[in-house]
Amino acid sequence: MKRKKMLLSNETINIGFVNKVEALSGTSVRRCFQCGKCSAGCPMASFMEHPPNRVVRLLQLGQWERILAGRSIWYCASCETCATRCPNKVNLAAIMDALRKLSWDANGPSKESFVQLANRLFIDNIRTYGRQYELRLGAVFNVKSGQFMKDLLLGPKLLSRGKLKMFHSKNRNITEIENIFTRIEEMRKKGEAP
Amino acid sequence: MSRIGVFVCHCGENISRTVDVERVAAYAAQLPGVAYATDYKYMCSDPGQNLLKKAVAEHQLTGIVVAACSPRMHEKTFRKAAQAAGLNPFMCDMANIREHCSWVHENRDEATAKASDIVRLMVERVKRGKVLEPITVPVTKRSLVIGGGIAGIQAALDIADAGHQVVLVEREPSIGGHMAQLSETFPTLDCSQCIMTPKMVDAANHPNITLYSWSEIESIDGYIGNFSVTIRRKARSVDEDKCTGCGVCMAKCPQKKIPNVFDRNLGLRTAIYVPFPQAVPNTPVIDREHCLKFKTGKCGLCAKACGPQAIDFEQQDQLVTEPVGAIVVATGFDLYSIDRKPEGSSIEGYGEFGYGTIPDVIDGLTFERLASASGPTGGKILRPSDGKEPKQVVFIQCVGSRAREKGISYCSKICCMYTAKHTMLYHHKVHDGRAYVFYMDARTPGKCYDEFWRRAVEEEEAVYIRGMVSRLYQRGDKVVVMGSDTLVGVQVEIEADLVVLATAVQAQPNADSLAQKLGISYDKYNFYSEAHAKLRPVECATAGIYLAGACQGPKDIPDTVSQASAAAAKVMTLFAKDQLEREPIVARVNERNCVGCFACRKVCPYGAIEEKEIRDRQGNLIRTVAHVNPGVCGGCGTCQATCPSKSVELDGYTDEQIVAMIEAL
Repeated sequence: MKRKKMLLSNETINIGFVNKVEALSGTSVRRCFQCGKCSAGCPMASFMEHPPNRVVRLLQLGQWERILAGRSIWYCASCETCATRCPNKVNLAAIMDALRKLSWDANGPSKESFVQLANRLFIDNIRTYGRQYELRLGAVFNVKSGQFMKDLLLGPKLLSRGKLKMFHSKNRNITEIENIFTRIEEMRKKGEAP
Repeated sequence: MSRIGVFVCHCGENISRTVDVERVAAYAAQLPGVAYATDYKYMCSDPGQNLLKKAVAEHQLTGIVVAACSPRMHEKTFRKAAQAAGLNPFMCDMANIREHCSWVHENRDEATAKASDIVRLMVERVKRGKVLEPITVPVTKRSLVIGGGIAGIQAALDIADAGHQVVLVEREPSIGGHMAQLSETFPTLDCSQCIMTPKMVDAANHPNITLYSWSEIESIDGYIGNFSVTIRRKARSVDEDKCTGCGVCMAKCPQKKIPNVFDRNLGLRTAIYVPFPQAVPNTPVIDREHCLKFKTGKCGLCAKACGPQAIDFEQQDQLVTEPVGAIVVATGFDLYSIDRKPEGSSIEGYGEFGYGTIPDVIDGLTFERLASASGPTGGKILRPSDGKEPKQVVFIQCVGSRAREKGISYCSKICCMYTAKHTMLYHHKVHDGRAYVFYMDARTPGKCYDEFWRRAVEEEEAVYIRGMVSRLYQRGDKVVVMGSDTLVGVQVEIEADLVVLATAVQAQPNADSLAQKLGISYDKYNFYSEAHAKLRPVECATAGIYLAGACQGPKDIPDTVSQASAAAAKVMTLFAKDQLEREPIVARVNERNCVGCFACRKVCPYGAIEEKEIRDRQGNLIRTVAHVNPGVCGGCGTCQATCPSKSVELDGYTDEQIVAMIEAL
């Protein structure tokens, strides 16, 4: 990735975004003094273009686009090692959650990785079947993302070992599942849920 | 005939682990001149010392060698014990078989042989030792304090409160120093003037303090307890006794546009002036360089306006001589001017920051004047170029400091904290502004210091960027800051309205010439050197001279005040006795042999060598020889080694003793 020069001013430092992250995660990004302990212990750091401490650093500078454009927040496994060990009790796992949420709302500067799409299909499946129907998830994802051949050879292996089911089995309490979804939607409308 | 006692210590196992102490004692016992030798587990303990005392009486010993640790550790202990046993303490010496032997060797046989050698040498030395008596020097119980900043004021007040007379000398028209220039002080943000000016008034009004402002040290003679100081009282052109400080003269003065150095040239002053309204003493000075009366002979408006007739254009410099017993040096610091390489300096400039060419690039002390309620802007943060309120202010730390290859390798120590303070002061005054700080490390060791810095970052919204700035340049009315954030790994560019450089703390420009007058040593940056970095941090190697504040090295206010009080305590310790007793390890000149070349005077770090005239009975001068003032001599022996005619001997370390030691090897 090309490292563009950072122009800092009151206009480019998006404090509004930082405030949202802090409200959602319930933690302060200013408290971080960049010791790097989070990145030192992160099992996923080697996959990230911005290791965890740098995500916080970019947040401190209000550089939200740089964070959302990257894939770091999606590689986070929410293992919470960072938050557990942070000397300043910066809950980085919660910050990552908040960033993923805000990325969803911003509708996809991270489209590149189809994470948004995968997540949406995942949730849709749960809502329809009450549990995950992996075959459909994979098929629809491949069609919608335009990568028809993706992981195609893996399919038969998974099927033969019973890891993929050919047919879905619906959850018996599907109506209750639906209730959960409608309740969340109502709460969102009232502003009670993020 | 000498009767030496040798006492070999095991030091628990520290020595006996590597050295066969019994063998060393047995070896020592058969050395010529040794009357008694023994070993003991802890020679420095009470039973160990008693053993020594008993042996002195039983064996009629004339000298003692204690083979144990370094003399730095226990020489005093054993000399005291020897004295208690009736011996001259200087007939007791240490053979260091711990630091010099057991701790640095592994082979037992070799270490034992080496320990035996060391003991043999010391026996030869003590055999040729002389009975020495302590030197007593009278003490003048008055003190000189050079510099009227917070360090000098604190030291002067402490000494004066203890009941001793103090002469306080200040170069500027007013005391107060740099602290009087500051706006608010970290880490509590209390107003500098509010805590400083009462102390200034206390110092000026103290019955035991004689204040000479607008004065400089001309020369210093003498030695500990007996200095004679000549002070140049620069012509003020105003009679201090007559002046009431009403200020009419300043109002009448037609020369009103002289940059005020106290305000870092931001404000203006008249030719007859006090540097700031709260000045102590509140007596103006005429700046003869700018005064029309002195330049053209016409004017004299101030003299006409002055009710008490205090203006005196004829006044001349006066020399005053004061006898003092101790000197506290508290001359403070200066800030590094970074625009160009100072002449003759090994320190390079920082042209890339445009300091001196871009008007809105200022240094930290200038920002203090901007933020100060009594400053040229009345405490409003307004930038120098157009008087507008800056909305984006960039602070750059470590400008000049910590750049070994550019000339200064040390950390200026105060900048991290004052920059954090500046961001807060700015945030309090310009709510919609933003402060950025480029830093390499944030160094905040001190009580409540790190908390203070974190407060600047976490609560006062200062944006700290870890990385240095490459260059500053003007674009329109902005100053473009080209920096980098090394935590993110990208270049950073900021269009700033004002840039504040935390420039390095330096020694006063004439620190070296004062040091030469005082005969004290200084480092390559012209900061004054203490006698020992850890254990004697406020004393100079030159006896009777003490250090306080930033003249010794960069220091903040709490450290400066602590050191000033410590220096005052040292002065009081000196004044607690009427006579000063000194160790008689001093050099002695053989006057019959001395040719008067004074090579010794050139090398003496203590300034102890004097000229002595030898006259015949009719009073005719025969010749001039060197004489060591025992009150000043530090006993280093450099003169002894230098003397081409072998006319100087250091008591306790005579050539005879040293040669005997070498021959015994």
